[in-house]
Amino acid sequence: MSKAEFAIIGTGEVPCGIYPNRSEFEIAYRVAKLAIADAGINKNEIGAVLNAAHIMGAEFNTEAFFGRLPEAIGAKNCKIIATTISGGGSSFSIRKTAEGILRSGETDYVLVIHAQRFSQFTANEQINFFAHAGSDLEWEVPYGMTFNALAAMMTQGYMAYTGTTIEQVASVCVACRKWANLQPNAMFRDKPLTVEDVLKSRVVAYPLTALMCNVLADGGCAYVMTTAEKAKKVCSRPVYVLGEASDFSHRSIINFKTRNIDKMYEFFAPVAQKAYERAGLGPKDMDIFEVYGAYPITSLMFLDSLGIVEPGRAGALVESGATSPGGKYPASTNGEAMSFGHTGTGVGFAIFVEGVRQLQGKAGKAQVKDARFLIEDCGGGAFMDAHFTVLGNEIPSPAL
Amino acid sequence: MDLTMREKLKQKMGCKDEDFIKPLPVAAPWSKPFWDAAREHRLTLKKCKVCGHIDHPPYLYCTACSSEEAEWIQASGKATLYAYAVNVYGVPFAFMEDLPYVLALVDLPEGPRMISSIVGCDPKDLRNGMELEVVFDDVSPEITLPKWKPVSN
Ligand SMILES: [Zn+2]
Repeated sequence: MSKAEFAIIGTGEVPCGIYPNRSEFEIAYRVAKLAIADAGINKNEIGAVLNAAHIMGAEFNTEAFFGRLPEAIGAKNCKIIATTISGGGSSFSIRKTAEGILRSGETDYVLVIHAQRFSQFTANEQINFFAHAGSDLEWEVPYGMTFNALAAMMTQGYMAYTGTTIEQVASVCVACRKWANLQPNAMFRDKPLTVEDVLKSRVVAYPLTALMCNVLADGGCAYVMTTAEKAKKVCSRPVYVLGEASDFSHRSIINFKTRNIDKMYEFFAPVAQKAYERAGLGPKDMDIFEVYGAYPITSLMFLDSLGIVEPGRAGALVESGATSPGGKYPASTNGEAMSFGHTGTGVGFAIFVEGVRQLQGKAGKAQVKDARFLIEDCGGGAFMDAHFTVLGNEIPSPAL
Repeated sequence: MDLTMREKLKQKMGCKDEDFIKPLPVAAPWSKPFWDAAREHRLTLKKCKVCGHIDHPPYLYCTACSSEEAEWIQASGKATLYAYAVNVYGVPFAFMEDLPYVLALVDLPEGPRMISSIVGCDPKDLRNGMELEVVFDDVSPEITLPKWKPVSN
């Protein structure tokens, strides 16, 4: 049975897209205010302010390191600040930091913030940065490696070794877009998308077309986390952290613990299983699967690992519409980085905050009816790690 | 890349001349022997003298047993193609002149997997599992990049 020590009681988010005139500072301050208001607490109750580092943003990071955020937010009783960063896994590592602070008893309320403004950097700066994020400067970048090429070779191998078709890969983008069309903050909220559109867009890194690659964007979100005990007293619908699990594999993809691309679930599935077990729940209990993607291949590998489909068959599952709105396995309900917009370390934050909104019944048009439990994941680098979390708006009883 | 194209990109994208310089490996003390050998057109790997583990990339000490006693062994120069990508668009400016180019995961019989380029092959003829052999590309007086091409039958 889950111990459910911690809960999220409020979230805030701003629209994701290209907003060059909205600074990362404005994003951070705005989402903080929204999350505190949504949590229904006073800003002066916040005892710790944590943020994820701004990708490529030296000024914001320096300011955050030295206390700008609590001062600007007016968190007068803040005791602890910290910036946490572990690439796409940051939304998980920052939550573990928040848990440690809450467990210490120093405060009952931790505010977690993510803000990112990519549009201040040139396309070349962004390509160079992400080439390094996914690849090794000494051994890979001199060959012209890019993040898209990394995702492309993983997609090529996955298709070759599992028999997944390019149409199935494209269907991941379409499923994400259908969710994004229901999300007011999604970058591509207004644009429908078909498999044909995806396949007809220009090839970027074969087999990936442009519409299979995420678009870097500006955005951010925040949430307030507290102890489960406190949450029950102050919040009408807290979202409990029921079970979590992590694993790390490598820096360079050449050292992935599971060498076979068609068997990456052998690395991910035991982590998901551990999270389910710690929650005292299983795949059948999940109402939503908040899968981190950034590229279709990542979504497929995570879906392969959740106990809802035979590994290697996630493409067919997505193609059937099962992960789309109205489907049996709603997945990545914010539209994911591919259609919500890719905000660097924020991809995991966005999917986590969307999961919380779903379980609080605040997901608007994208709301999955009567959702009680979901599994969420994130990971960073070149598939370097995996973190799975089971969330619920109730704590399952031992009899369940 | 011809200079007209470069000038166009500089105007349109706001990039500078240094953006067109390809990044080269900067060796760490523990990887210098690899690049020294590559310059002599030899592919080598760092092997632990205590446990026999081969580390690629090499590190300060063996990642299996932490021993600092190592030797550099000559690799066979053979590999198989595990998976690949063809960069067609959206690469750093310095690599635009090479488009399209093939990047791949190649498996060495000695154990390590590498990310490298496949050259001398139409991308349409690439097949997962095909046999490869190493070739050496002298990209500067100091740096030679080992690359791979299909074994000619
Ligand atoms: Zn050893």
